[in-house]
Amino acid sequence: MGNKRKVAAGSRGMGQVFTVTVGLILLCLVFSILNPTFFSGRNINNLLRQIAPILLIGIGQSYVLITGNIDLSIGSVVGMSTMISATLMTKGMNPWLAVIFTFVACIAIGLINGFLVAGCKLPAFIGTLGTMTIARGIAQIANNNYNTDSIGAAAEGFRNFFYYGKFLGLYSTVWIAIVLWFVFNFILSRTRSGRHIYAVGSNPEAAKLSGVSILSTTMKVYLVASICSCVVGLTQCASAGMGAMDAGNSYELYAVAASVIGGVSTLGGQGILLGTVVGAAIWGVLQNGLQFAGAPVAIRNIVIGIIVVVSVLLDVVVRSGKQVRLSKKQTRE
Amino acid sequence: MKKIVSVLLVVALALTAVNANGQKEATGKSWKVQLITMDQMDQHWANVDKGAQKAVTELGNIDYKWNAPATKDDAQQIECINNAVAQGADAILLAANGPDAVTAALKEATAAGVKIIYVDSAANYQGEAIFATDNKAAGKTAGEQMLKKFQEMGIKDGKIGVISVNTATASTVAREKGFREAFQGKGYDILESQYCDGDAARSKDAAANFITQGVVGLFGANEGSTVGIGNAIHESGSKVVGVGFDKSDMIKQLIKDGYLLCTMAQNPDVMGYDGIKAAAEVLSGKNLGGEVVDTGVSVLTKDNI
Repeated sequence: MGNKRKVAAGSRGMGQVFTVTVGLILLCLVFSILNPTFFSGRNINNLLRQIAPILLIGIGQSYVLITGNIDLSIGSVVGMSTMISATLMTKGMNPWLAVIFTFVACIAIGLINGFLVAGCKLPAFIGTLGTMTIARGIAQIANNNYNTDSIGAAAEGFRNFFYYGKFLGLYSTVWIAIVLWFVFNFILSRTRSGRHIYAVGSNPEAAKLSGVSILSTTMKVYLVASICSCVVGLTQCASAGMGAMDAGNSYELYAVAASVIGGVSTLGGQGILLGTVVGAAIWGVLQNGLQFAGAPVAIRNIVIGIIVVVSVLLDVVVRSGKQVRLSKKQTRE
Repeated sequence: MKKIVSVLLVVALALTAVNANGQKEATGKSWKVQLITMDQMDQHWANVDKGAQKAVTELGNIDYKWNAPATKDDAQQIECINNAVAQGADAILLAANGPDAVTAALKEATAAGVKIIYVDSAANYQGEAIFATDNKAAGKTAGEQMLKKFQEMGIKDGKIGVISVNTATASTVAREKGFREAFQGKGYDILESQYCDGDAARSKDAAANFITQGVVGLFGANEGSTVGIGNAIHESGSKVVGVGFDKSDMIKQLIKDGYLLCTMAQNPDVMGYDGIKAAAEVLSGKNLGGEVVDTGVSVLTKDNI
């Protein structure tokens, strides 16, 4: 029973995780050589906190990608979350009550996404494109087409909880990401819902015939994505101390990048959240390290683009290699 | 039944004819003016619109509309311009995305008889007038403010970090240029700029990275960048000198608390107001000859906020 599970994980992406982890270590070494300050305690702490939000949206996008879908609304939900929470707080609402309202709004978007994709059978690209613009529109209307004022001294507890606080030497955002990662990784790798998520992504017809509810599973993954986006939006609000209407712009793409670098396949059914950690870490290390290396902006964009392409190629190459091995094995037998 | 309906229809038609006549006499010549900005998300544009609306209310004969793409995108701004022409706009107040990005659409617009007035950002295409901040001069002023503070603090050299938006937006590019000009030959090392799209969270991360590298000064080229810099300086507890652009409640707060030295506050509402007034003049036949009006910046510090 234990062996079967190990093999299953291996065929789901452990291979790429090893490869990219090596890549991550190499990157860190290179950046430390280029600028030793990169490896200072202060920067490592900052770096971990810079990686945390990417990991969170990466988890959400990975869940969706594994079912063979995509969530383009992630960035807009981050913006919506920031604006709703900040607007409510500037109007005098208790920060924690504002947090609850914000979650309700973001969860609604997640449920709508799941319904559009699995219930109305809209292609995920189209469905979430629609909610992407709706959520961004809500972010703009929230404070009447203005960025918000400062959320004020009353929000200090909120700001410390989501961003500025430190616990055992690590920033609170990092802890939030760690805890949520454990929760969502457990769900994905050890529960029936998790197995259904992989099943829907690998072979939806077979999954349906085995009694898996495509609608329920799809709604669950979009729900996870919207929850993660909500948390990141709150983190942004806490960091800035105000709400900006363009918060989270393009974040859905960073989420795809983190997932894909970590071995999650955009075709579905493949990838583990451990990979998303490494993918998010590589993304964060690149952004941070290239700044310490003094790289001009053009170089940054080219380097980041190459790494994303190479990661996707790795996935394609490994998959086709596996298929060749499988068919060879079958002909031998 | 048919007779009653037809009588009612004729009466309705007659009423509309009378009404239409009446409307024409009341309003006289009404011009259609559209404001097209880079997007509708940045508060800066909302302020331009506010100023424009004030002028529209005062003038009373402008049919005004504010339009912009959802996000900053050249192709979408071209569409907005084309739509404005198709909708019969007499004049367009434009904040061009980039110097050459939308020139083709502008050529077609002027060929159709539409007057172009630039607000905030001009393009490399002749317009009736430009109402904008002289961004390069404002950037230089920001740099000079920072230098003055350095002299007060006795800081004669060191590294400086720049957080800007991107390499394409003419206004922020000009501010950066002006800022760097102020420091030419002064013995400080301005590091490679970080472009964070004006996202306050990403700007804060980049600013925190600069602080780790030991900078003595930080410059933010727009509102989001400046908020990020202020928050980073606040968190680090360091004496880094922060100078930025635009005003917002958050930025004022950061200046009051001493985390930012000062900010260059633009006058977007003046751009909108003057732009509409100029549109009315141009449409009445006056030739403004492409005049460039610097709507100016005010240096907001702790003392005058």
